[in-house]
Amino acid sequence: MADFSRESMLDMFIYEMNQLVEQLEQLIIQGEQGYSMDDINEIFRIMHTIKGSAAMMLYDNVSKTAHSAEDLFFFLREENPQDVDYSTLTDLVLECVDFIKNELVKIEAGEDSDGNPTDIIARVKAFLSLLKGEAGVPEEEVKKEPETEPKAEEKTVQNNEISLELRNGADYTAKIFFEEDCEMESVRAFTLLQNLKDYISNVTTVPEDVVADSSEEIIKKEGFSFSFNSDKTYEELCELIQQTVYLKSYELLSGELKRYKAVLFFEEGCEMENVRAYTVIHNLQEYCTNIKHEPEDVIDEAATEIIRKNGFKFSFSTGKSYDDVSKELYSTVFLKALDLEEISDDADEQKSESKEKTKVEIKEEKKEETKAKEEKKEESPKTENIALEPKTEAKPAAQKKPASAASQKKAAPTQHMISVNIGKLDQLLNLMGELVIAEAMTTQNPDLEGLELESFNKSARQLRKIINDVQDTVMSMRMVSLSTTFFKMNRIVRDMCKNLGKDVHLEVVGEETEVDKNIIEHLSDPLMHIIRNSVDHGIEMPDERKAAGKPEKGTVLLEARNAGGEVVIIVKDDGQGLDTQKIFNKAKENGLLKKPESEYTEREIHQFIFHPGLSTNDKVTSYSGRGVGMDVVMNNIEIVGGTISVESELGEGTTNILKIPLTLAIIEGMLIKMGGAKYTIPISSIQETFKAKQEQIFTDPDGNEMLTLRGDVFNIVRLYDFFNAESEVQNIEDGVFIMLENEGQHVCLFVDELIGEQQVVVKTMPSYIKKVRGISGCTLLGNGDISLIIDVVGFFDK
Amino acid sequence: MSMENEQVDMDLVLEEDTTKDKYLTFEIDSEKYGIDISHVIEIITICAITWVPETPDFLKGVINLRGSIIPVIDARLRFRKPEKEYDSLTCIIVIEYENYKVGVIVDTVNEVMYIPEESVSLPPNAKLKYQNKFIKSIGKVDADVQLLLDVDKFLFLD
Repeated sequence: MADFSRESMLDMFIYEMNQLVEQLEQLIIQGEQGYSMDDINEIFRIMHTIKGSAAMMLYDNVSKTAHSAEDLFFFLREENPQDVDYSTLTDLVLECVDFIKNELVKIEAGEDSDGNPTDIIARVKAFLSLLKGEAGVPEEEVKKEPETEPKAEEKTVQNNEISLELRNGADYTAKIFFEEDCEMESVRAFTLLQNLKDYISNVTTVPEDVVADSSEEIIKKEGFSFSFNSDKTYEELCELIQQTVYLKSYELLSGELKRYKAVLFFEEGCEMENVRAYTVIHNLQEYCTNIKHEPEDVIDEAATEIIRKNGFKFSFSTGKSYDDVSKELYSTVFLKALDLEEISDDADEQKSESKEKTKVEIKEEKKEETKAKEEKKEESPKTENIALEPKTEAKPAAQKKPASAASQKKAAPTQHMISVNIGKLDQLLNLMGELVIAEAMTTQNPDLEGLELESFNKSARQLRKIINDVQDTVMSMRMVSLSTTFFKMNRIVRDMCKNLGKDVHLEVVGEETEVDKNIIEHLSDPLMHIIRNSVDHGIEMPDERKAAGKPEKGTVLLEARNAGGEVVIIVKDDGQGLDTQKIFNKAKENGLLKKPESEYTEREIHQFIFHPGLSTNDKVTSYSGRGVGMDVVMNNIEIVGGTISVESELGEGTTNILKIPLTLAIIEGMLIKMGGAKYTIPISSIQETFKAKQEQIFTDPDGNEMLTLRGDVFNIVRLYDFFNAESEVQNIEDGVFIMLENEGQHVCLFVDELIGEQQVVVKTMPSYIKKVRGISGCTLLGNGDISLIIDVVGFFDK
Repeated sequence: MSMENEQVDMDLVLEEDTTKDKYLTFEIDSEKYGIDISHVIEIITICAITWVPETPDFLKGVINLRGSIIPVIDARLRFRKPEKEYDSLTCIIVIEYENYKVGVIVDTVNEVMYIPEESVSLPPNAKLKYQNKFIKSIGKVDADVQLLLDVDKFLFLD
């Protein structure tokens, strides 16, 4: 107990809770139109877990709130009432979620969780009794609860080898398994005993010394079992145990075993029937006792024939239900047929071959199973990322239904996930960067210049290849799908619709697109502001929409897709569009115009909405109108090196286009020389490089230089002019042109010479230096020199 | 336990003592300046500087300090003095101020000097010279006068 550290438990608690709450919110929003049974079960389970965890960490207010919500969903689950006011229900549950979220923020900040949930609990209760009234089940319901629950509980009773250890005089034996990688199993076991100590007595545990270091391993591998006496009923004890945090599965045993008899046939030609039979028995041993089988010596070769002919006969005792056992047995590989029956006693064994409702269509079941497996396989690559798809987080702390217990078991092999501290990944990435530089320093070492090093070069290439692979792996570990960020937006749209009286549907496309974790953090805020804008300013009121001949329900499309080295995120609404004139006037008022009025194109005017303090909304609402939002968007997007543009058609809608680099860290660059310095240009923006002849160049009356290439005309930017630097190479024919592409526009950049391609680790410019146009960051070269990375976009917006 | 605590407290006191009223002194055009030692991280000899476009002229560029990129300011140019070629005495004082890490190029670094509070006075009011605005106070040690730098203004004044 001495090293029972609440701190790290707290960390885990907060992490777990945040995941749960996020998932909960998604489920609730999805279910607003009507919850499916699965949703209700899931919400119920999550609420239950929250309740348990919070109670364990002594956050009573959170626990109580979750409890009241849990009650509500328990009722929905058991009674399945019709005509539920889902909208009110959703509001109510969201309020609960908000309350919990709020408390979590406080806990995270190290403050006391002091929110008072009385009000919300009262309202949940009121709603529940209203529901009960409607469903025509008055007070009875309360009494009914204990009746329905045991039914479910009984099925979870799993007899297994512990039964052998059932101590004389002990009423119960329980076996607990914690989630893998939950850490501190021994402390958790100890906490469990502490929690139970008021109800149970005469406890013996395996391992004996719970808090000893060695027991941690034992509990991890073999589970934590303990026998005890208690006045509590079986159900009450189940309930208590279920509150354990990170509970993976538990078995509580009180007594009676059932005896089953089975005959099993394998598919013809599957070979090695005896070994297969042995495997079946081996699996049975996990949860059954007193196993008898015929032939007795399955390992013997002769057994193969017998099994082939007569089938494999065996009997065993277990506390599991018939359904559970048959489910287990049906998962046997190459199973052809199975007869399973419950027999009252060992003595009845000879009794009959009375085929109790068996011989199910195995084929079909098996098909389904393989299908399910395949589906799981398909899912797994998606889920293998840092942030852990909610699915895996969702592991209910307690399984009330045997079905879910079974599916859990099957799913287990595909869950190869661990959660990693993002700090460690950042560190790994930094080291990766160092490694890339060190590799360049070594293989391009000046000492090697002019030497014939065939073998060295070969090894160097191999090293480079491996480093590249490692780098790709490190990068992929940091990729997280946008789905959580996107689904958060559902909530925003929903709340706004309610408050503004609008009807808007948020359509999400491509949410599985993956982006670097660091970038995702900067995306949430901008997206929120853009979507707010779209709903608040863009989408009109339903009657206006009707008058304009549009469907009353507005649509906001949130789409993400990969495009080269970038992720493009599009927020598109079918609202009223931007009022160009109004924006222009506002921009004029705010003195933002920098060139003659007539020269502004519609597109350029639209970009003004990203300027701070410019809001065309005349009245300030709770959502927007202060002119801050789009400025925040701009800043955040700039931090991650992205761009944003807006397109709009009056009356047709507005489209915001965000372009975000996939990753911040390492890019392919073209190293070029200009003046005395070396610059890096991202390869992704380079279309081609070429030398030009003097006759290709001409100058327009304003002094702008242009170049003709294959019949097209391109603008020329001389890099030294652009940066006001000095360069000896000024003659067009001495230098090199690099054709840069950005959003379909092209520019030819004139530089001194090309040095070569190189992978570079992007470092941000020190914050002391203000943002420089045309520079996006810098990188270290093999020799330790700094090379500035050119921001291609800078050459296009003038 | 309490013994240990005392020890820690003592260390804290010592720590404070080691930086209090101490200044790193450097020279520009034979004028002596001092900078509060608590801002100073290290002193390095002049190294390759990468010029950054579109920055004020006193901002000479960025250097690679063992893998981290830090901007460097030429104190001469900041004080509007004529530029001078860097030589073997030229140093970069790396300072950290409000999470900004910046290198300051000076003609030469002298020593760390203890200037007690009572020897420090405000600069004369008359702003005769331009550089005055970067000077927070004046420290007198014996007959010598050290111009104590106002780091905030030095870094951020336009």
